[in-house]
Amino acid sequence: MEVGYGEDRRVRMLRENVQDRWGSAYAPFRPLDPVLVVVALLLTGIGLIAIYSAKLQALTNQGLPTTLFITRQLIAMGIGIVGLIGASLIDYRRLRSYSVVVYAASIVLLILTLTPLGTEINGSQRWLVLGGFQLQPSELAKIAVLVAVAAILHEAKGEPGIGSVALGLVVALVPMGLIFLQPDLGTSIVFVWLAATLFLIGGVKARYLVGLVVAGVVGVIVALQMEVIQTYQLGRLTSFLGASDPALAQGGAYHTRQSLIAIGSGQFSGKGLFEGTQTALQYVPENHTDFIFTVIGEEFGFLGTATVLALFLLLVWRGLRIAVMSKDLFGTLLAGGIVSVLAMQVFINVGMTVGIMPVTGLPLPFISYGGTSLIVWFTMIGLLLNVHMRRF
Amino acid sequence: MASSDSSSSPLLRLTFLSVLIIGLFLALLTRLWFLQVLTGDRYLTLADTNRSQIVVTEAPRGDILSEGGAPLVQNRPALTISADRQALLTTDDTPVDEEAELAIGRLAQLLQLSEDEVMERLTSRRYSPFRPVPIAFDVTPEVVFTVQEQRELFPGIVAETLPVRSYPHGELAAHVVGYLNQISEAELADERYADYRGGDLIGRAGLEASYESYLRGTTGSRLLEVNAQGRIIDVVRETDPVPGNDLIVSLDPELQAVTERILEEGIVASRDFVRDDGRNLPSTAGAAIVLDATDGAVLSMASFPTFDPREFVGGLSEDYAQYLYHDEDVPQPTINRAVQARYPPGSVYKIVTGAAYVEGGLTTPRTQLPCPPSYEQGGIVFNNWNRVDEGRMDLAVAIMRSCDTYFYDLAYQQWVREDRQLEAADRDLSQAEIDEVVPEVAERFGFGRQLGIDLPSESSGYVPTRQGKFETWLRTRERDCRLADELEPGSYGQLISEDRCRFGGRWRGGDAINTSIGQGETETTPLQVAMSYLAVANGGEVLRPHLGRAVVSPEGELLEEFGREVIGTLDLDDATMAAIREGLLRVVMDERGTANAAFEGFPLDRIPVAGKTGTAEQKPKVPYAWFAAYAPADDPQYVVVVSVEEGGGGSQTAAPIVRGIFEHLFDVRPIDEYVFELGPEILD
Repeated sequence: MEVGYGEDRRVRMLRENVQDRWGSAYAPFRPLDPVLVVVALLLTGIGLIAIYSAKLQALTNQGLPTTLFITRQLIAMGIGIVGLIGASLIDYRRLRSYSVVVYAASIVLLILTLTPLGTEINGSQRWLVLGGFQLQPSELAKIAVLVAVAAILHEAKGEPGIGSVALGLVVALVPMGLIFLQPDLGTSIVFVWLAATLFLIGGVKARYLVGLVVAGVVGVIVALQMEVIQTYQLGRLTSFLGASDPALAQGGAYHTRQSLIAIGSGQFSGKGLFEGTQTALQYVPENHTDFIFTVIGEEFGFLGTATVLALFLLLVWRGLRIAVMSKDLFGTLLAGGIVSVLAMQVFINVGMTVGIMPVTGLPLPFISYGGTSLIVWFTMIGLLLNVHMRRF
Repeated sequence: MASSDSSSSPLLRLTFLSVLIIGLFLALLTRLWFLQVLTGDRYLTLADTNRSQIVVTEAPRGDILSEGGAPLVQNRPALTISADRQALLTTDDTPVDEEAELAIGRLAQLLQLSEDEVMERLTSRRYSPFRPVPIAFDVTPEVVFTVQEQRELFPGIVAETLPVRSYPHGELAAHVVGYLNQISEAELADERYADYRGGDLIGRAGLEASYESYLRGTTGSRLLEVNAQGRIIDVVRETDPVPGNDLIVSLDPELQAVTERILEEGIVASRDFVRDDGRNLPSTAGAAIVLDATDGAVLSMASFPTFDPREFVGGLSEDYAQYLYHDEDVPQPTINRAVQARYPPGSVYKIVTGAAYVEGGLTTPRTQLPCPPSYEQGGIVFNNWNRVDEGRMDLAVAIMRSCDTYFYDLAYQQWVREDRQLEAADRDLSQAEIDEVVPEVAERFGFGRQLGIDLPSESSGYVPTRQGKFETWLRTRERDCRLADELEPGSYGQLISEDRCRFGGRWRGGDAINTSIGQGETETTPLQVAMSYLAVANGGEVLRPHLGRAVVSPEGELLEEFGREVIGTLDLDDATMAAIREGLLRVVMDERGTANAAFEGFPLDRIPVAGKTGTAEQKPKVPYAWFAAYAPADDPQYVVVVSVEEGGGGSQTAAPIVRGIFEHLFDVRPIDEYVFELGPEILD
């Protein structure tokens, strides 16, 4: 059976009609997908607990209020919920026309981080400080690229030619390059993945996709050869690959080793909340941000880590469902792109904490401490809801 | 809109994407299952190792105190700079990073040491990896301040206060007190030292060694929880150190000081004396012992030359090690000659042989025997020290005059009797029943065995016997026979070797005669001589010599007491004992006594002294001087024995030293007015 875009939609409409009749009882919530919101809030809640636990001992030692970090995270969550509502209210289809503006703005912000206006932390210039609030433009750029590339592919109506692919590629590569210069390897990888999955969903021909993958691999090799990648990134990468130079690999190897000890020592059911020694004694650096998963692993064990992964899979499932239900390609692309970015970011982040991915600076969505990331992910959920609400 | 290419179906493409995502998540879950469930226990151990650090807390070692409470050895806190080896060095002893290398350099500069010296101490395998390695003891407070205030410049380096041994009296009683040293790797491998760790100090000599188990205490430990920065977060478990117990000893610090001073002055002064051959007395070394005659407690014990135990604190310097072990002018200063030296006793042994011949029934104490200037047996002439015929005398006079020939004839008669007993067994030593009275009585006096003093390395001396000589010959025969073949025929050495090769196992008349005056193979320690004279002084009980009086816990609780312990009796007839005591008394009191001149001017009427001179020949060396005495003779309180290696006559060198000690003991004259005066050269 030939299953085309319209075919899909016809089948879905039949099903939705039935659902509508059943769902009329829940009229006010009907357009919403409560699972999405609840799971996002659950993950954020788990994140707040983990951040509190990670910072409890250190803050106590420094004589600072133990709620310092979670207060900031809660504020970010509040802004995030505003972002969610905002992102779900405006019809997503109108975003297509704003895409150029949003995209241009994010490029400007990315360039600003590279100027002296950007703040350097741990050897990377990733942040802009705006009136006491740190902004990470690379997170915003995710939405910008998603919207821009999705718009381009939407124009191609599911059969993008070489021109659309080239344009989409340029649109994705420019911010990726700027992020790469910060340097932020993890986020750069996420951008590549985002572009690739959008091309996949957007109907780019298989041979172009294969060509792009080959080009990407060659690009990485060339980058390594030209020593474009900063030494610390290389160190982390080589430590992950078991390279021999200990001086180079030391930082990364320590990270990975302590992270493995933290997660492994949690065993099946974990040591209990606030009982994690690796966590409390700060053996895992950055365990409230990029390495937050070690706190969950140590204190809640396999039960905890599996639950968190299950919650993420739940988001992925709901997102993919929305992608399928969307009445136009743009909505499918938006939902599919959001889901694929989420999945890849979870994989890279968790993968690095369990030693199967190189150590790169990338937050765990909803859970890691970091305002911009949280706001952006709530906004993404808002976009998903938006597509979901306007599926008829 | 619909594509002929099915791969363009968004549903199919989304399915492909979801399969990809599920694959990624499955990879994560599998990995997490492996980490947390399959190998989780290993990581749990690693996490515990990560946060736990065991720190050893030293137990303060017990003090050694005199009965009056004056400390001979104490602990004092020493400001110490230590370095954490693990923080500074890799497993192959190179600095972990540039920072560590710089820190080592700064430390060397601060301590005014070379970097090599610091590295040498830091890498010393004698220290346990569980605690910082002490780099410098007794540093100035300024150094400590520098290290503490500039922690970032000195990573891994700590200033701490460690208890070290302190000696309020300096060199006093060094041999008795002993010293501490790091436990060796060989000892650590030994199960007897199972509760010691690398870097632990262990008593190496003197009381520190013999009372090690009492003094040492038990180290405590603290299991700490440390964070990633090494800061201590919590004390998980703490075992307090149990301080060592204090030892109270009979040694009197004041008397010890006097004994040491008089011994040294006497030895040094005697070196001015020029002998007949035109050479000075060597007087290379010596020992002095003062015992409480009533219970065998050591009141003072000196050995010359001596050393400074303070030099062992924090490790010996190279210079001092050279002095202790390799200085030709200072013969083995760490040896406690009072208990470890084996000297021929010479004439002080005559109370033993005299008693033995009476016991053997060869004579009675009152039997008058001749004292000719020489005695010939088997073609060999044995001379008395005095070239004048002294006429007939009984045992007491023979002791007073130290007449050699009196003893020679008795020794020969005893030998003849023994030889007959051997003949009766067809000269088969293993079958013969021989009454060897001299070794038997010597054994009763405490010779030829350890007396069990509470000091390490006590020598047992040597009492020659027929069996002993035979066994020695079995061991040495081969060498003597080879020398007999190799040396020039007819030369002195060749003849001696030949004789030893063929007849060395036989106990001959000459052996018996030499033994009768405490020469030949007989070897004794000054302590054995002192204890034998103590037995005579108290009427026949041989006591165990001891320094320890009591062991007291740090709280002052009496844990153990060491008192008078009888380890044997002389079992001599009253008449024999009386004759010996009379003889010893007259050695000093009688004008003809060998030590009378040495005690000229001493208030003998008030404090009667009994004693015996000895001049032990050990050719080609200058004779060893001896004097053994007790006083007051009618109610003995003290036994004093002095021996001086190559010190000439006993009356000449040893007796005046003993006199000096008695002068102090009985307050005859203040020590400040004491002057050593050499006695007459009587080579008994």
